[in-house]
Amino acid sequence: MSSALAVFRKDLQLAWRDRSGWLSALAFATISVLVYSFAFDLATADIRPLLPGVLWTTFLFSGIFATSQSFQRESETGTFDAMLVAPVSPSTIYVGKLISNLISLLIVELALLVLTTILFDTPLLTGELVLVVFVGTVGYVSLATLLSTLGSRGSARAVLLPVLALPLLVPLLIASVRATGAALGAPIDSAPWLLLLVIFALWSTIGGALLFPVVSER
Amino acid sequence: MTTAVPAIAAFDLTKRYGGVAVVSNISFSLRAGSKIALLGHNGAGKSTLLGLLSTLITRTSGDASIAGHAISTNPIELRRNIGVLAHLPMVYEELSPLENLEFFARLYEVPEAATRIEELLRAVGLWRRRREPTSILSRGYHQRLALARAVLHRPAVLLLDEPETGLDPAGIALLDQLALDNPAVTVLAATHLVDRVDRWADGVLRLDRGCVVEAPDPVTAEVSS
Repeated sequence: MSSALAVFRKDLQLAWRDRSGWLSALAFATISVLVYSFAFDLATADIRPLLPGVLWTTFLFSGIFATSQSFQRESETGTFDAMLVAPVSPSTIYVGKLISNLISLLIVELALLVLTTILFDTPLLTGELVLVVFVGTVGYVSLATLLSTLGSRGSARAVLLPVLALPLLVPLLIASVRATGAALGAPIDSAPWLLLLVIFALWSTIGGALLFPVVSER
Repeated sequence: MTTAVPAIAAFDLTKRYGGVAVVSNISFSLRAGSKIALLGHNGAGKSTLLGLLSTLITRTSGDASIAGHAISTNPIELRRNIGVLAHLPMVYEELSPLENLEFFARLYEVPEAATRIEELLRAVGLWRRRREPTSILSRGYHQRLALARAVLHRPAVLLLDEPETGLDPAGIALLDQLALDNPAVTVLAATHLVDRVDRWADGVLRLDRGCVVEAPDPVTAEVSS
């Protein structure tokens, strides 16, 4: 576990020094929500049914910005290989990177929830919604972290992550949008969708840790 | 009574990419403390062999062991016993030399890490620049830092891939001091600087198109009491 913490600490240091990853994600998220706020008639219409879509499309693409650089730079400079020849399990490296990516994206999402609350005049920082966003983000980031390893090595890496990730994320996106809708007052039962989110998050985290040694092989 | 364990041993080690054998049925063994030059033309399979021994590249068949730990059964213990220096320095540009070594010391669980890091940074001439970003250091200093990273955990075996890359004469002297002239360490180093090989190597492992064409005498199962 100390090795995973070392990787996590190092990744946070790198993210802070080279701000391009999370700043791109934050800039994209801000611009997206601003465009949505211009597009919708905020004065007369009830925009709450639209907010789950607004939030999760923005989270999804912000996450691709945030996680795709996780391995790309390390792959280019050889530091990923330096970690792989250390006496630690590759799964440990995955866990460290997962936590770092998760925290980076959660910070972006928190900023986005605050901005959306202000722009759309709808309270979004409720306990239920924050829970849905947290569990959905764990599932998303664990899969994106795994797939960004594959994406960091191919020549078509810029498109590989979204192309690989999007089909696998369909169940997560459906459950996230539904559970978010329920948290915003839509007449649907949130429990089954939240359960699906939890199962997806567990599946993708455990599967990611088990598959990471395989996808990092050459 | 003890049995001499080869520092490095390979048994029919093979790597194929899409049916093409890059390294083919390589077998050899090296004594502890030996210094072996890995020679061969471009594409002979030197880097692939070093990648296989360091577990960076997955073998297609065969096996290898370092300090008695086999790739197939105990890769983590194997990696604890190796230091790797490659074409790329494999250090973080955004971190300082000190932060780089602190990170790798945590991964390798180096005892008394602060003392060891100071010792190495002084040895490679980076102590005064230890807090500067690595990105502003010259190529030669990158390679000196990489050398410090490779020997940080006092590995029994060093796998070096053209270690002289980017080093000036003073840097090459450091390489000799920390790696090639260290009697406690077994070295397998791919190099194109054939003129220097006689100075440090006590044997040659020569590859041609993925096969061994010259190897040191194999280590026999010596038993001593």
